[in-house]
Amino acid sequence: MLGIDDPQIWVVYILCVLSAIGCMIYGALNWNKGAEDEEVE
Amino acid sequence: MASSIVLGIAVLIYLMITFYLGWMGYKQTKSTDDFMVAGRKVNPFVLALSYGAAFISTSAIIGFGGYAGAFGMGILWLVFMNIFVGIFIAFVVFGSRTRRMGVNLKAVTFPELIGKRFQSRFIQGFSGLLIAVFMPLYASSVLIGGARFMETALGIDYNTAVLLLTIITAAYVITGGLIAVMYTDAMQGTLMFVGMTILMVYTYVNLGGVTSAHLALTNLASMVPEAMAQQGHTGWTSMPAFGSPIWWTLVSTIILGVGIGVLAQPQLAVRFMTVKNTTSLKRAVLSGGPFIFMMVGVAYVVGALSNVYFINTRGMLSMDVAGGNIDKIMPEYINSAMPDIFVVFFMLTLLAAAMSTLSSLFHNMGTAIGHDLYRESIMRGKIGHTISITKLGIAITIVISVILAYTLPIGIIARATAIFFGLTAAAFLPMYAGAIFWKRMTKEGAIASLLVGTFSSLFWLTFVHAKEATALGISQAIFGQATLLTGTWTLVDPILVATPLSVFVAITVSLLTKPASEEHIKKCFGN
Repeated sequence: MLGIDDPQIWVVYILCVLSAIGCMIYGALNWNKGAEDEEVE
Repeated sequence: MASSIVLGIAVLIYLMITFYLGWMGYKQTKSTDDFMVAGRKVNPFVLALSYGAAFISTSAIIGFGGYAGAFGMGILWLVFMNIFVGIFIAFVVFGSRTRRMGVNLKAVTFPELIGKRFQSRFIQGFSGLLIAVFMPLYASSVLIGGARFMETALGIDYNTAVLLLTIITAAYVITGGLIAVMYTDAMQGTLMFVGMTILMVYTYVNLGGVTSAHLALTNLASMVPEAMAQQGHTGWTSMPAFGSPIWWTLVSTIILGVGIGVLAQPQLAVRFMTVKNTTSLKRAVLSGGPFIFMMVGVAYVVGALSNVYFINTRGMLSMDVAGGNIDKIMPEYINSAMPDIFVVFFMLTLLAAAMSTLSSLFHNMGTAIGHDLYRESIMRGKIGHTISITKLGIAITIVISVILAYTLPIGIIARATAIFFGLTAAAFLPMYAGAIFWKRMTKEGAIASLLVGTFSSLFWLTFVHAKEATALGISQAIFGQATLLTGTWTLVDPILVATPLSVFVAITVSLLTKPASEEHIKKCFGN
């Protein structure tokens, strides 16, 4: 996979990419959620 | 010559923008909250970049990138930990609770948050003391990294570089407080992001694409030097042999130590208290995840791939090109493989990385000394002017960091980041997690956990963990042997011993002592 033989490495390579993309999706989906009850002022 | 003129101009523009943002911070700072927690209304994008830029120092790019050049891609597990634990868990799970409790208790520093949650001035004072004593170690190692870079890149004398870097950073931290720190961090973070993107794309294109670059690296496995193979090195695209010395260092110190240690870093945790609401924290995840990926992910992949480049061009491994000094692998690679104009840009990236981490540390040490230790703990909150005392605290800790940077032996400086991360994980993490998640945790439980975590961690790194114990030489001086235990124990990082111990003590003591009043718990957690 991706020119890497050891699954412990190609798995983590893909995990890194997926977790970065996952963060973007999470942030986008929650962009406007939960604002009502959380204001400081 | 042309490139040194370009570099001079680039550095000048960079410094002008830095000063402009510092001045903006100064103009906007009117209250204690402004100076300490940036008025609690920071934009999520600025939060994410500032958190990432403060977290990633020059040593994460140069030091760990070089480590990947020497030992391979196993360190990518740290990237995954940094994104998943350091961003996602930190922002979504820890961040929202920290922010809410910070507002409920009107806390402006990390030690104050914990101290008020457990109604203990001792906790606040002792935590402030730990930060004041051990953070300068970490700060001086960042300072040395930045100054060494200025020495080679700009041709400035090393001592002058240390002073320049300190004075410039100190100027905007002391005048502009956390607002200035976070906005300069965000600008520096943007610069770092662009620099690393160019580095990644250029490297992959140069080596014929992702798969063929990796394949070429995989095929180098047979060239691992015999001495390294005996330590567990199996190639650059495979994990070291299970249980070998290289494996232990990689998994316990680097992946777990740095990967989990980040959660309890006071200079990062305080940032959760700078935003308006939980939504801001969730929004920050959007830019935080990819930012960390582009910083450390790229540094480690490129570090490992530098072997392919050097074998193709010089027939040598990166380690040999760097003359055995891991810290020189990344600079060597960038200087030889990248176009001149990029070298200039990358120099700026590294300067930004050093300054953004340094400014956060200066600010945090100052608040620990001025606010937590002196004002709250020694003077019992009697003095009114938190900001002026904090500014004095910042100035004092900066002087201490500079003195340390000149006087400490290089062996200890090289271990400073690991010492600081290990200590905060053991001393602060169980207490911090308990404070925000476990209502039953008591003041006594927190104090016990703080003390046990601190001293067991210090004991382990002074007398057992070979890397620090040998560098410190205390065990040798007292007992006549470098470490008290032998064999695999000397490879196990303090975090794996001290943190579980600290967790155990926190739970046991809390369950044996009287819980805090319901009224106080309600005040902390809100309804």
